[in-house]
Amino acid sequence: MIKRPFVRAAGMAALVVTLALAGCTKKSDDTTAGPATRTPGQVKIALVPGGAHPYFQPWKEAGATAKTQLGLGDVTYNETSDWDQTKQNDVLKSLAAQGYNAFGVFGVSPENINATFDDLKRQGFPVASLGSCPAGDADKADFCLSTDVEQAAYKAAQAAIQAMGGSGNLVHLTGNKVDSNTQRRIAGVQKAVDETGGKVKLLQTVTDVDKDLQSAQKAVADLLAAKGTQIQAIVNTAYNPAVASADGVKQAKLPIKVIAIDDDQTILAGIRDGSVAGTVLQNPVGQASVGSYALMKLAGGCTMTTPGVVVDSGSFVVTKADVDTYDADRQAKTEELRKAFDSQYLTCK
Amino acid sequence: MSSPATTAPETARPPETRRPPRIPLWANPRLGLVVLLVALVVLFTALRPAFLDTTLTLVPLQSDISVYAVVGLAQLAVLSLGHMNMAVGSMASMSAFAMGLAYDRLGVPLPVGLVIGLAAGALLGALAGLIISRTGVNSFVVTLAMDFALVGLITILYTRFTDGVAFSGQPAGMTTLRNDTFADYCMGEVCGPRIPLIAPIALVAALAVGLLFRYGRLGREILMTGANEKAAELSGIPTKRRVLQAHALSGLLAGLAGFLLAANNGAFSASIGDQFLLPSFLGPVLGGTLLAGGAVSVLGTVLGATLTQVIYKGLNLLQFQLDELKLYIGLVLLVALSLDRIRHVIGERRGARA
Repeated sequence: MIKRPFVRAAGMAALVVTLALAGCTKKSDDTTAGPATRTPGQVKIALVPGGAHPYFQPWKEAGATAKTQLGLGDVTYNETSDWDQTKQNDVLKSLAAQGYNAFGVFGVSPENINATFDDLKRQGFPVASLGSCPAGDADKADFCLSTDVEQAAYKAAQAAIQAMGGSGNLVHLTGNKVDSNTQRRIAGVQKAVDETGGKVKLLQTVTDVDKDLQSAQKAVADLLAAKGTQIQAIVNTAYNPAVASADGVKQAKLPIKVIAIDDDQTILAGIRDGSVAGTVLQNPVGQASVGSYALMKLAGGCTMTTPGVVVDSGSFVVTKADVDTYDADRQAKTEELRKAFDSQYLTCK
Repeated sequence: MSSPATTAPETARPPETRRPPRIPLWANPRLGLVVLLVALVVLFTALRPAFLDTTLTLVPLQSDISVYAVVGLAQLAVLSLGHMNMAVGSMASMSAFAMGLAYDRLGVPLPVGLVIGLAAGALLGALAGLIISRTGVNSFVVTLAMDFALVGLITILYTRFTDGVAFSGQPAGMTTLRNDTFADYCMGEVCGPRIPLIAPIALVAALAVGLLFRYGRLGREILMTGANEKAAELSGIPTKRRVLQAHALSGLLAGLAGFLLAANNGAFSASIGDQFLLPSFLGPVLGGTLLAGGAVSVLGTVLGATLTQVIYKGLNLLQFQLDELKLYIGLVLLVALSLDRIRHVIGERRGARA
């Protein structure tokens, strides 16, 4: 009596499934819409970072500039993904439903993002992976324009080793451990340390301190309290710990050399007053502006010479010597990237 | 309290007469949710016709609802006892890890890996249930501690068994499960509806849980344990075993939710389950499941999950900024819950008078 509804329901379900499967054929996969050719005025680009983070703020302005300079239909910036891949997929589909037809995306999860790119490509939209490339060897986006994070971390560690005089103990502060970019950064720092042949020791790699400034500050305070006197240099490959360690070292008055990342005002001020030895800059403006340019070209009928090509958007070590002139380098790099897309990466009829 | 003289005639009477007066139909919380849902869909469609765009809005919406309905059911399984499972997310993540490992290293076919993952989830749930029933420590504390431990373990396992944070290997059929709808499968000229392939999996889970709690002896006994553990124990129900089983069911459903999310997102990665905790409570509570235990509503849970996802999708389409999005989702849910409660209270009063 009690078990009967189960049996009945299961029987019904089995019957329905069998009926449905019998004589069922899969329709040929013709959903892939051929990329329609669009004039710049019809191209509506959505720049979608993984969530709110100071690193992406230049995208907003660069996107707006690209809109006026290139005469695009629209460029929007949407940071509501909240560092959740499911939400980001939702955001992208919502934007597509509203008529956006080209996407520059910083994927929340490099492991899953290829699936998302695939979805967008199947609808016939050009897609750029900006600021971060998918994990693994395949890139399902049209191209990836991003800092080579391993290279940038390597440069940063080299700068730190130089600042500490070529020997001593180094500490590496970075972001989310379960993120393939973090793994690449760890590899980059390790490579620079290995090259010293044992003169520099990587004392500790502190991960998961990029969630917010408070947790970074706490981690730096703990680190300095425990091992402050043994450390000769700190290399940061994430934004929040960079700000926190620049501040922490200055307050503790320890002779530790700090290599920071990006060009936040606090960090630039630190370089000027000497509390920060140097910083490694990335090129978010270039990612957004050259990315938008290439997306427009792709929407207009150009194709990638090598689909899924990875392009380094550049990283620059800035010290007190060039703190006031670095932006010229960055603009030059951006212009160089744009030319490279025209001459090398894009094939236009 | 009552003497044998008074209970005897009562038990002899047909059970219908002992029931409290029925709540009128319009005060049924499920009906309220349906009305609210229809109103919101009409509102969002009026503001943004793209809300009814099949491929870009409706199909992804159904996939999301499928995942979060199962997440809600995982919490419902222990809410039936008046317990909580704070580790739904990490249980889902551990299950996804087990599945990913099975697919990547052993190369098992899709259903086999799914069974392995579900077993892993059920085992973790059973472990939580065992600790709770043996020690008598509050389920909140036990599962919270378990969540902490599992979050650490997941990071360690992923760094050891993968080169980063996700398994690169995927079973055959995974992409089909993510991309296809029934409209891609035709019998002659007749094609199926635009429903993603993962939706029926969630539907089967919901039906099974519904039937279990409505007709299954196990489900009824779990509910009785939730309503009054002492009374259930005295009636001969092995309450300790029921606690364990309810938690195992919760773990199993969490594992299923992990699988569905992995299918949706395209990889078995460490971040699965990160965002499960809050939605796991939202669905059941919106749907009228009592936090105190003893009563559940599977249909309500599915409707609650649907409502949350519709609100999210709608606000997303209206391009709200992140902070506004969170604020308005909070407000809309608060209003929805209050309206529901008011209707319920009025309904009960009317019912009592009748």
